[in-house]
Amino acid sequence: MAAAATAAAVPSSSKTETYTDTKRKDDIRQANISAARSVADAVRTSLGPKGLDKMISSASDNSVIITNDGATILNHLNPLQPAAKMLVDLSKSQDSAAGDGTTTVVVVAGSLLRHCSTLLSSGIHPTVISDALHKTSLKAVDILTAMSVPVELSDRESLIKSASTSLNSKVVSQYSSLLAPLAVDAVLSVVDPQKPDLVDLRDIKIVKKLGGTVDDTEMVKGLVFDKKVSHAAGGPTRVENAKIAVIQFQISPPKTDIEQSIIVSDYSQMDRILKEERNYILGMIKKIKATGCNVLLIQKSILRDAVTDLSLHYLAKAKILVVKDVEREDIEFITKTLNCLPIANIEHFRVEKLGQADLVEEVSLGSGEGKVVKITGIKEMGRTTTVLVRGSNQLVLDEADRSLHDALCVVRCLVNKRFLIAGGGAPEIELSRQLGAWSKVLHGMEGFCVKSFAEALEVIPYTLAENAGLNPIAIVTELRNRHAQGEINAGINVRKGQITNILEENVVQPLLVSTSAIALATECVRMILKIDDIVTVR
Amino acid sequence: MAVEKILKDDASEEKGERARMASFIGAMAIADLVKTTLGPKGMDKILQSTGRGQLVTVTNDGATILKSLHIDNPAAKVLVDISKVQDDEVGDGTTSVVVLAGELLREAEKLVNSKIHPMTIISGYRMAADAARNALLQKVVDNKEDAEKFRSDLMKIAMTTLSSKILSQDKEHFAQLAVDAVMRLKGSTNLEAIQIIKKPGGSLKDSFLDEGFILDKKIGIGQPKRIENAKILVANTAMDTDKVKIYGARVRVDSMSKVAEIEAAEKQKMREKVQKIIGHGINCFINRQLIYNFPEELFADAGILAIEHADFDGIERLALVTGGEIASTFDNPESVKLGHCKLIEEIMIGEDKLIHFSGCEMGQACTIVLRGASQHVLDEADRSLHDALCVLSQTVNDSRVLLGGGWPEMIMAKEVDELARKTPGKKSLAIEAFSKSLLAIPTIIADNAGLDSAELVAQLRAEHHREGCNAGIDVITGSVGDMAALGISESFKVKQAVLLSATEAAEMILRVDEIITCAPRRREDRM
Repeated sequence: MAAAATAAAVPSSSKTETYTDTKRKDDIRQANISAARSVADAVRTSLGPKGLDKMISSASDNSVIITNDGATILNHLNPLQPAAKMLVDLSKSQDSAAGDGTTTVVVVAGSLLRHCSTLLSSGIHPTVISDALHKTSLKAVDILTAMSVPVELSDRESLIKSASTSLNSKVVSQYSSLLAPLAVDAVLSVVDPQKPDLVDLRDIKIVKKLGGTVDDTEMVKGLVFDKKVSHAAGGPTRVENAKIAVIQFQISPPKTDIEQSIIVSDYSQMDRILKEERNYILGMIKKIKATGCNVLLIQKSILRDAVTDLSLHYLAKAKILVVKDVEREDIEFITKTLNCLPIANIEHFRVEKLGQADLVEEVSLGSGEGKVVKITGIKEMGRTTTVLVRGSNQLVLDEADRSLHDALCVVRCLVNKRFLIAGGGAPEIELSRQLGAWSKVLHGMEGFCVKSFAEALEVIPYTLAENAGLNPIAIVTELRNRHAQGEINAGINVRKGQITNILEENVVQPLLVSTSAIALATECVRMILKIDDIVTVR
Repeated sequence: MAVEKILKDDASEEKGERARMASFIGAMAIADLVKTTLGPKGMDKILQSTGRGQLVTVTNDGATILKSLHIDNPAAKVLVDISKVQDDEVGDGTTSVVVLAGELLREAEKLVNSKIHPMTIISGYRMAADAARNALLQKVVDNKEDAEKFRSDLMKIAMTTLSSKILSQDKEHFAQLAVDAVMRLKGSTNLEAIQIIKKPGGSLKDSFLDEGFILDKKIGIGQPKRIENAKILVANTAMDTDKVKIYGARVRVDSMSKVAEIEAAEKQKMREKVQKIIGHGINCFINRQLIYNFPEELFADAGILAIEHADFDGIERLALVTGGEIASTFDNPESVKLGHCKLIEEIMIGEDKLIHFSGCEMGQACTIVLRGASQHVLDEADRSLHDALCVLSQTVNDSRVLLGGGWPEMIMAKEVDELARKTPGKKSLAIEAFSKSLLAIPTIIADNAGLDSAELVAQLRAEHHREGCNAGIDVITGSVGDMAALGISESFKVKQAVLLSATEAAEMILRVDEIITCAPRRREDRM
């Protein structure tokens, strides 16, 4: 029977069995590769300064996003196929490692996979390809490092140039002259001279406010709250020489953690209770006032009202400006900026815990609801900064936020690793040329694989040209030619539609973006190659 | 002649031939599934979860794959279990044990078909396993006395274990990490003291070993960011309020001022609690639960570093490494054991701030920080490193070492063949089958690397005919090589466990001649 048949086949089986097995494995590998490639193709057209945007409409809540940021597109793509998911993760890692180049990394991975599938079909073992890839990526990082230019943090011009290269491919590209210096200044202002290599982007707060245009985006040395001052009872909206307290308790009638109820037995008692409540609140406010505090930032409370109408009224009378509903996560940033300490109990309300600022005011932005609270001229301010982003509609605003984030990341990369490299496809074509040359001195299969990867890297200049409406083949051939003649910085000038020395055109990007794109893309491709089965589990 | 029904309606039974066939097929299917992950050129599998979130895991670890499978076949379940046991006992060889058991059954099936009684096969297998084990025992090398050599043995074992995993490219780096970590344990197998933290970003090469302990938490606002000679109190207590835990407890008052009094009393209670805690003479307080704003401020005022919401794992390990005890009442300061360490400070890894405890009481403690491109890579790196750590810690205790690359299998096969020739009767057939199964492992390693397995294994066998031969499969060059020269080693303990548990599992499945599936328990409420 069946068992007998298998049994008979077993002794000599290892040949035939491996044969059928390989068929299935090849199928799975090809399925993975093609799924991953289709993801890469989806974002390919958004690469480069003339890349186009994608409109993403989400089915669940009917929201619409317009973006050019690879990581954002992929994040919303939500593919089911596991290999496609890995590409999405790849772009996320690039986002966290370098912040920019999220499209590039996916496009490179897609192209590498395409060349891998040709190599596989010519019968090369996946692990050989994978090892060759690893070697190539190490070599590629060396080549890139060799062609980079060192940059000093004091060289503001170069920093701005690289930030604007990143911004040029975004929706907000026309504002790059405004946003690029802003990003540079913001990052430089949070760099601690004692630890010059560390930049914590959480020290830069981005506040988005609808209304106005992107032109109105500004950097504020101080704090901005996207909230109105609570002036229900006609309290002040502008305070000079402010003494600011960040409080984590509530100015409202007392409430215990244990369940409680007040029993009112007659009319006079009711009166007394109301009076007591008033006195209680008044007592608190007097204590606050006694320290000379005139601005209160009140943390949001889920247990009870942070402030009541009554307390607001008394606060207004005491000429204290109130901002309520400050999130607990923001407290650390605020206290760091104001150089003050949060106060969790009225008993601890002391002068030394207050922060000081020259001016706290409610600024109205245009008409209607657009009001924000600004705190400026903070004494002994911490190393933080706030950027107020404006935009005419939510879509532009969100995209401006994302673009600014990318630009900030670019500047941060430069602070971490102070090298610049040319943009415009120059590094990729140079890599391709040098790796091609290197492949000729390698032995065996490896040389063949490396040569294939060298070709795969040409996808970046090719796509740049294609997206800009140029003839890709002509441009890439010309580019290759120029590099062969030793012009290592020749790249595609998309604006002029020709090949120029890209360093002179001020198109530069941080070295970290390029190296991490290559390293991450190869790591991901190697992982996909090594998979030979998909198992469904619980 | 009505046959009475013995079993319930939904229950089924399979007997004799059919039962045996079902278990053979199930076990072999499992073995075939994981077989391609074996060896340095083994492939990975994607595990796609059908549950919520559709999580994707990419792995090469046999135990992880088997653990997550849906399995209905009872024999297959036995194999999954032995792989789990192998994982718990020695940590590595989880794939090998399943593959070997599968091969043993494959051979047994042929014997059964040629009318040999399963019991005869079993006793043959037993004899063969004993012979194989003795063969290994004769060949083991023990370098415990020579510290230098022992360390290099450990390095070799770590590299061999890691070479079949995702970390293969940086295996030297990670082998170094693992050996350093295990050497710090000074012979204890308590891997708890080695903490692995995964942080996305950077590349695998940026991973490092840090002496001391790292906690992935933030220091409270306004509190010192650096403490020297820290006295640490580790606690699991509510730091919001001590609620009255009687259901429905409530207070009735008749005026607002009384409510205020109760509130003040509650605050006072908290303040007393904090005072008591401070009274322990500590300068660092770590709580498993949340610390609210109010106590946080009190701690800040007292200049005490307070860390809230440390996870359960973290807190137990912290108590372990700092030598403290987890406290939940604070009335008797003298009975609470405090933890100590030289320095607490905030450090940055990647984008995140973490708290670093160095110079801990328990000198063995250390932390390995893994960096990698994505969560998949990190998870897999974690699994691989865990395997290496397990094997190393076992080897430190039992320092007998063997060569790798199919060498032990060849030695065993040779000895078993020898035995088969000497044994009279049908048993010898079973013994011969055992040696054939052993040879399957080098065959699969070669097959996975895309090499000509038949040719290689034949060459190996010829080489092994000489005494004291070190030949094994060198997958990298695709030829027979000297394992001692290539530095490929394996722990004796792992090999022994693979051999014995695979044999036992095969035996157990062979004994089966009837499978009874019980009737599923009905749910009353829903039909």
